[in-house]
Amino acid sequence: MWARLLHRISVDNPSPLLKQFPTTVAFVVAVVLALAVPSLVLSQPVSLAAGAAVMLVVTIMAIRFTRNGSETRWVLSVPILSLLAIALLRHATGGTASLFSSMIILPVVWIAAEKGRRWIVVSIVGTSVALMLSHLLDWKLPQNEGEWLRGLITPFVFGIAAAVINELSRQARVRAERNAAMAGELEGLLDDARANEARLRSQDRLMRSIWDAVTEQSVIGTDVTGLIDVWNPGAAVMLGWTEKEVRGRRYITDFHLEEELELRAKELSYPPGATVLNPGFSALVESARLGRAEVPEWTQVRHDGSHVSASIAVTPRLGEDGSTIGYLFVGTDVTQALEVSRLKDEFVGLISHELRTPLSSILGYLELMRDDEDSPLSEEQLQYLGVAERNAHRLLRLVGDLLFTAQVTSGRFPLDLGPANLSEILSASIETARPTAEAAGVGLVLDLPDEPTVIRGDALRLGQACDNLISNAVKFTPRGGTVTASLTVTADDAIVTVRDTGLGIPAAEIDQLYSRFFRASTATRNAVPGVGLGLTITKAIVTAHDGELDVESEEGVGTAFIMSLPR
Amino acid sequence: MSATVVIADDDPDIRALVAIAVARAGLVLLHSAADGAEAWNALSRHRPDLAVLDVSMPGQSGLELCRRLRADEALSGTTVVLLTAGVDQQSHEAGTLAGADHFLSKPFSPKALSLSLAEIAEPRR
Repeated sequence: MWARLLHRISVDNPSPLLKQFPTTVAFVVAVVLALAVPSLVLSQPVSLAAGAAVMLVVTIMAIRFTRNGSETRWVLSVPILSLLAIALLRHATGGTASLFSSMIILPVVWIAAEKGRRWIVVSIVGTSVALMLSHLLDWKLPQNEGEWLRGLITPFVFGIAAAVINELSRQARVRAERNAAMAGELEGLLDDARANEARLRSQDRLMRSIWDAVTEQSVIGTDVTGLIDVWNPGAAVMLGWTEKEVRGRRYITDFHLEEELELRAKELSYPPGATVLNPGFSALVESARLGRAEVPEWTQVRHDGSHVSASIAVTPRLGEDGSTIGYLFVGTDVTQALEVSRLKDEFVGLISHELRTPLSSILGYLELMRDDEDSPLSEEQLQYLGVAERNAHRLLRLVGDLLFTAQVTSGRFPLDLGPANLSEILSASIETARPTAEAAGVGLVLDLPDEPTVIRGDALRLGQACDNLISNAVKFTPRGGTVTASLTVTADDAIVTVRDTGLGIPAAEIDQLYSRFFRASTATRNAVPGVGLGLTITKAIVTAHDGELDVESEEGVGTAFIMSLPR
Repeated sequence: MSATVVIADDDPDIRALVAIAVARAGLVLLHSAADGAEAWNALSRHRPDLAVLDVSMPGQSGLELCRRLRADEALSGTTVVLLTAGVDQQSHEAGTLAGADHFLSKPFSPKALSLSLAEIAEPRR
């Protein structure tokens, strides 16, 4: 409560009531004295009453201004009217001889303290009017020089006092404003500091949660000598050492296979002792030093001595001046990925052997039977044998296709590059398809340019691609239709187009054409045989030659596959 | 005098098929081995002119046999033909790297194999 009261009467910005308070109290005391002390002159009781009335009104005004928090110039009507009340009191208690003349100073202080020099003038005028009021009310001029001088000198003295008060309060105001500005500035700085602190805290929390969330990658930081000072939870998981055991105690090279470091150092020509750093560490940070974006694979050693294959990205840590103060190693465990890749290769090898070996026997013995000159087979038997042979070859092609797609998906797709005569390849493919096409009643048309077209490529694979496209076209063309294979040459490309008058491919299925084992609905509906590998393989072959395979098709009208190969 | 041959393949049917091709090529089959160890014994004992080896066999593979054979002075006169069911370029390269003289892939036509073997053995007669 006291604090609130103190705040209310705070000196910085006193309320109108507080400013009026001394004047009102002094006035009441003066009135009481004038009425109670018999020796004091009370010549004009009416004036006294009028003065008291005015004082009452201005005190009420002061209360109202205070309550409304009004800050207009009208507040100054309170001291000005107070001057009038005091002048009336003075008139009632002996005029120029009144004991209470000095009370005039109280409202004058208020007026003079206002902002602006004009209030000095208002103070002087107010004082003069207040002092001259007795003469005005009595309708008579001052009687002697003494009275004249009193009417002039007192306002003059009050004027000086008003000027001093005005200046002092101006200075006080300037100081107060400066203080307020500084306080505001300080508050602003504090706010900024608080906001910065909150932001840093939240960034710290974010960093901490990211740091803790990285458990699948090891993040290790070292100084320029390789001494570890950063060790994330991922590193602890991957290598089995805790941060406490490692920070400031161990070097990054302690977690690498020594022989591997030596070998790489030798490869990079970092002979021992020739560099400031140890050669193994130099080899480790080679990519970071040269600013290369490589992620080489390294073998790291776990706490229990077991090995882990990791691809490690190394980046330099920079100091304030941009110099390298250490390195960051971000490692990803690729042990499992390598194992999967190895198993895939193993599987491909196994299939290759296990499926092709029995097929070798079947085909070999069928041939022996067919070529047996001692006991030749009958025409009918030879026909049966032909069926068996054809199907064995079909199976063999399927195994080959499966192996090939496995190689494509595992990224191991060897091309035996050399000059490939596309004219010859396409002719051969047409000849291969001719027996089937004739049996199916499908016409074959070959359209070649006059000059043979030779590109750089794998002739065997390109032949496989052409075979696939032509045999597909024949399969999907009803009796009486035509398959046209043409070769055209542009400035950059050799273009093989295989067009049929077949069933066509529904537009919605075009995108899936090259997916493994995908079969168009027109194929299944019309019972066209196949497993859905041909186009996958063809696409892979064309892509491996940096070419493009496009398709145009309309259901019921036909399909064209366009194979563009760079020359 | 006909050239002598040792063959090795873990698949008995293929082994028999190769043996027929060898006979039709007019070569003398000294031993037909079912695995790498047996093949090595036969090779060391007989020192044949020709060794027809399957690449993938249990125990020692054809590639290992080939390397061992090439490292052995006593067997320097033996021509090595590798038979493989693998299809890719890499297995071909591995065979050449191991020191094989010829490389034939499965499945093979017995007629074509016997012609090839006869041709390979020709300079030895």
